[in-house]
Amino acid sequence: MAIQIKPIKRLIGGEIDGVDLRRPLSDDDIAAIHAGMDKYAVLIFHGQQMDNVEHLEFTKLLGQLQPNVDTNVTKVEDRRLSVDFSDVSNIGKNHEILERDSRRRMFSLGNRLWHSDQSYRAIPAKYSMLYGHVVPPVGGNTEFAHMGAAYDALDDNTKAEIEDLVCEHSLLNSRAQIGFTDYSEDELPKFKPVLQRLVRHHPAMDRKSLYLASHIGAIVGWPRPEAMVFIRDLMEHATQPEFVYSHQWRQGDLVIWDNPQTMHRVRRFDDLKHKRDMRRTTTVCEGPTVAQQAA
Amino acid sequence: MAFDIRPIQPKFCGEVFDFDLRHPLSAEDIVAVHDGMDKHGVLVFHGQKMTDEEHLAFTKQLGPVQTNESANLIKRKERRLDLDFSDVSNLDKDEKLLARDDRRRMFSLGNRLWHSDASFRAVPAKYSLLYGHIVPPTGGNTEFSDMRQAYNTLDNETKVEIEDLICEHSNLFSRAQIGFDKFTDEELVAFKPVQQRLVRYHPKMDYKTLYMSTHIGGIIGWPRPEAMAFIRDLLEHATQKAFVYSHKWEQGDLVIWDNRQTMHRVRRYDDLKYVRDMRRTTLMGDGLTVEQQAA
Repeated sequence: MAIQIKPIKRLIGGEIDGVDLRRPLSDDDIAAIHAGMDKYAVLIFHGQQMDNVEHLEFTKLLGQLQPNVDTNVTKVEDRRLSVDFSDVSNIGKNHEILERDSRRRMFSLGNRLWHSDQSYRAIPAKYSMLYGHVVPPVGGNTEFAHMGAAYDALDDNTKAEIEDLVCEHSLLNSRAQIGFTDYSEDELPKFKPVLQRLVRHHPAMDRKSLYLASHIGAIVGWPRPEAMVFIRDLMEHATQPEFVYSHQWRQGDLVIWDNPQTMHRVRRFDDLKHKRDMRRTTTVCEGPTVAQQAA
Repeated sequence: MAFDIRPIQPKFCGEVFDFDLRHPLSAEDIVAVHDGMDKHGVLVFHGQKMTDEEHLAFTKQLGPVQTNESANLIKRKERRLDLDFSDVSNLDKDEKLLARDDRRRMFSLGNRLWHSDASFRAVPAKYSLLYGHIVPPTGGNTEFSDMRQAYNTLDNETKVEIEDLICEHSNLFSRAQIGFDKFTDEELVAFKPVQQRLVRYHPKMDYKTLYMSTHIGGIIGWPRPEAMAFIRDLLEHATQKAFVYSHKWEQGDLVIWDNRQTMHRVRRYDDLKYVRDMRRTTLMGDGLTVEQQAA
């Protein structure tokens, strides 16, 4: 096998050196990447030299692309990147660093909270592939927590209690956690909550995982405050250091994470001084976790 | 000294056995309690047998009492206990368990989040004295975090950054975190935010502490989402396992904590099944942390 994966931590993460993802990949290579994703949940491919087109081509080899529509407060005409990409940067359309009170900056501060990408879509994200074009000199790590390990470490009572719970996810909820409530009338409908199971089953690993995100605002059938403190307790449990890998970015890293098996967040950096230019593509899961009308 | 304090952790919390707090304390005993509090932050007096009157009499020997007015939702005629007490129980006036969706229960769920008592008052609390009348068979621990170690272990850059920051505290903010937002007009006035320094200085002991609480909803001069994401990071730092003591209650424990140098929270228990009858008195703080109109 051409792709050699070196484990990073006992429970999470693997890294790969010396593989250029621009080259044509064989079926074996693709299979090895999927198997690595199943096993390690996060893979770091160091030393890539991709442009957006190559990044996108590689993404399509691994699954069906999920375009970045209705996932933030930036209008299409104000975007720096095409809708195939999530713009995970602090840079505006004209290459300027976003101002302190810029609305896009306020909204993206929600990424400092633990989440799983697009858990607020009825059919949520599978892989996220984030490429580091420009990385800040200090700070801005991305941290990943393994939700299979977090599930395994729950006591049996809790496992039984949560087995069939269904949560409501919306971007409105994660942004409310940091006091962002500045929406226009036409934005509100696209952030309508969707339902997700709290416990997911990973078919390839035949393993259960906690499907958590700060996007959660309720558990179906529970009083809301009771649901939210319980979710906070679970989030704290799920993000203890043992389950977490903190990735310090190098320029040219392509990081892929499996959203059904992980949560992640970005850490603080001096974003008014340094550029951080990250671009993300996303593939979509095969179906919803709960039967519902697709949002 | 009239009693011995056994340290629970090397730098945090102490416990006292075989010392009956019902007897009038000597001047020397009073000094020993204050010195113990300064040094340990939290003191656990095991095996007490106090009535409310004795609890209050002991409290008054340590300083002026802060009454429980406008600190929660409970109307005076619905109170189970006298105004000198905070009713930290799951019981109503008729000693019955609160129903699952009872508004008082929803509000009290905010105590599951880390906080410092009455930080939402311009003159906040000094000590809290919580007595365990009836403790549940499992769960319901109270956890304490050491805000001296939390401050000391910050990097120098952060210490400089936060030295003069001022935060806004209100019960409205902690309750918003768990999705409780049904307040009457009267309550909205009672819960008007107050200002507190983020870094406090303890002159007698010559140390600094982080003065934090989930009641924080803003930092003066900062955009709100940026403040709240930063406060969350600091809260997480301050409550890492190494700085936390989790107290498993036994009936007859009187636990005293210094709100100026600790945060605390209660953990989950089966409150729809078991009685947890805890009663708290509170000592008034020495003064404002920030010049402002007293709320």
